[in-house]
Amino acid sequence: MQHVANLADRRPQPEETAIEVAGLSHVYDGPDGGVPALQDITMSVGSGRFIVVVGPSGCGKTSLLMMLAGLRAQSRGTITCYGRPIPDPDPKRVGVIFQEASLFPWLTAVENVEFPLSLRGDPKDERRRRSEAMLELVGLQGFGARYPHELSGGMKQRVSIARGLIQDPPVLLMDEPFAALDEQTRMTMGHELLRIWNATRKTVVFITHSLTEAVYLADEVLVMSARPGRIIDRIPITLPRPRTYEMMATDVFGKLRDRIWQQIRQVP
Amino acid sequence: MTIRRPEPSTVRWAMLVTLLFLWEFVPTTGLLPELFLPALSSTLKVLYHDWRTYFGALLVTLYEVGFAMLISCGGGILVGALIGGVMTLRNLLLPVFSSLYAVPIVILYPVFTAWFGVGSESKIAFAGIYAFFPVMLSTAAGIRTIEPHFILAARAMGATTPQLVTRVVIPASLPTVFAGLRLGGALTIIGVVVSEMLTSAAGIGYLVTLNRTILESSRVFAAILMILILAVAYFMFARALERRVVVWQAAGKQPQQARDTTATVPVTATA
Ligand SMILES: Nc1ncnc2c1ncn2[C@@H]1O[C@H](COP(=O)(O)OP(=O)(O)OP(=O)(O)O)[C@@H](O)[C@H]1O
Ligand SMILES: [Mg+2]
Repeated sequence: MQHVANLADRRPQPEETAIEVAGLSHVYDGPDGGVPALQDITMSVGSGRFIVVVGPSGCGKTSLLMMLAGLRAQSRGTITCYGRPIPDPDPKRVGVIFQEASLFPWLTAVENVEFPLSLRGDPKDERRRRSEAMLELVGLQGFGARYPHELSGGMKQRVSIARGLIQDPPVLLMDEPFAALDEQTRMTMGHELLRIWNATRKTVVFITHSLTEAVYLADEVLVMSARPGRIIDRIPITLPRPRTYEMMATDVFGKLRDRIWQQIRQVP
Repeated sequence: MTIRRPEPSTVRWAMLVTLLFLWEFVPTTGLLPELFLPALSSTLKVLYHDWRTYFGALLVTLYEVGFAMLISCGGGILVGALIGGVMTLRNLLLPVFSSLYAVPIVILYPVFTAWFGVGSESKIAFAGIYAFFPVMLSTAAGIRTIEPHFILAARAMGATTPQLVTRVVIPASLPTVFAGLRLGGALTIIGVVVSEMLTSAAGIGYLVTLNRTILESSRVFAAILMILILAVAYFMFARALERRVVVWQAAGKQPQQARDTTATVPVTATA
């Protein structure tokens, strides 16, 4: 847990802006002038904030995330992450956790987690120690030697999260990380994520289709329209933290979820 | 994981024992004339008395299979990886190779003997090229089906292009490579034996043809038995190696995937 304490010491200043997106549009090449996927996205994410993005399927959420990660170039507009553009992936600034378990099946859990460190050539002892500390943080101590196919869906997602956290990037992008999990595991994982977030104070951009999950996790929910995706609403979630399961039954929670639902529904 | 179905290997052994049993006892009942199927024991007797001839022939065949596999498996996997992995090469060459694959190469065998003579060289060239195309095509297909999320995740973690190749693409394509090795080895053995049967003066395939023409049935079957043993031994060797290297597939999460890539290539044995 030593390592976690270190992370907590480095809490960013609350006023700092982590991600700044201005006038971002994207058109995928294709016949008939291509597929317009994103249109005029402008957003600003304060450091340490937990932002959730919701929107109908195919509205461009994953595309937006890829651009924030430097994995794909946008057609127009600018993205800056801590003041600098991000033309290529930069694991020092941004970690990504995908929906599909993208763990490498040929590596054990601990080897998967330390993969980013081995890419940059960290010494073996050092990276093994940090990798094991990360597994402990996500509640998987003792499972390091297992291969992904020997882990449950929830465990695999935990390993993914540990791998996303290990390079200690200030920003974490998560694309429907819990979509493949059952409702119960999903809620538990959401709760776990908030615990980890609270301990590490990352800036999180989190995509989901679950409105309950959105309200439960977020500081702010961004609602996107159908393709081409625009941001049609920004809903601050005023529920106090730490969030509890009991809050889901409250009126405020229901009203917030309803407001998002109305926004998504009125989209043709 | 506590209750296990009977291991496939157990089933295979049981089938083998049954087959050998039938082979020994069906001919003695007189249902089949000795000429069609000599009993296992008389076949083994031939092998025992004539082991020098058969062993010598086996060495020739093994030598040819070994070199032919360098072309079919080595070349096939290498070229397949390049064609599957590099888009420009793929667009340029894949259509050409796919249509070449449709040519029944066995009709070209006389050309091979004209070029390389009736010795081992023509067998190596023929079998190597015969098995090259299926291996190459299945490898190319396998490389293309690498989970795109693996590449994306590695890039997001800061992998350079050489790191992508060595740390992701190569391990991710190991199952395909092994499927290619199994397929390629089997086809190479077929290619060598067939070409030995057609024109040659040595090798196990030659023993089959020679003894068939003089109606020495148990000698023919002795040669066939050796080919069977060779094929099965190769298969078991390749499987064992695969199990050791591709650990994550041993537990059976994705073996279908590997099997599928071989299944996409029609295995037309002797054309
Ligand atoms: N590489 C690509 N080439 C062409 N079009 C693409 C590509 N990737 C995505 N698209 C298109 O862009 C649109 C947005 O896709 P994207 O994956 O970003 O949506 P999404 O909001 O993440 O959807 P979902 O909620 O289903 O995951 C879709 O219509 C999709 O077909
Ligand atoms: Mg998506």
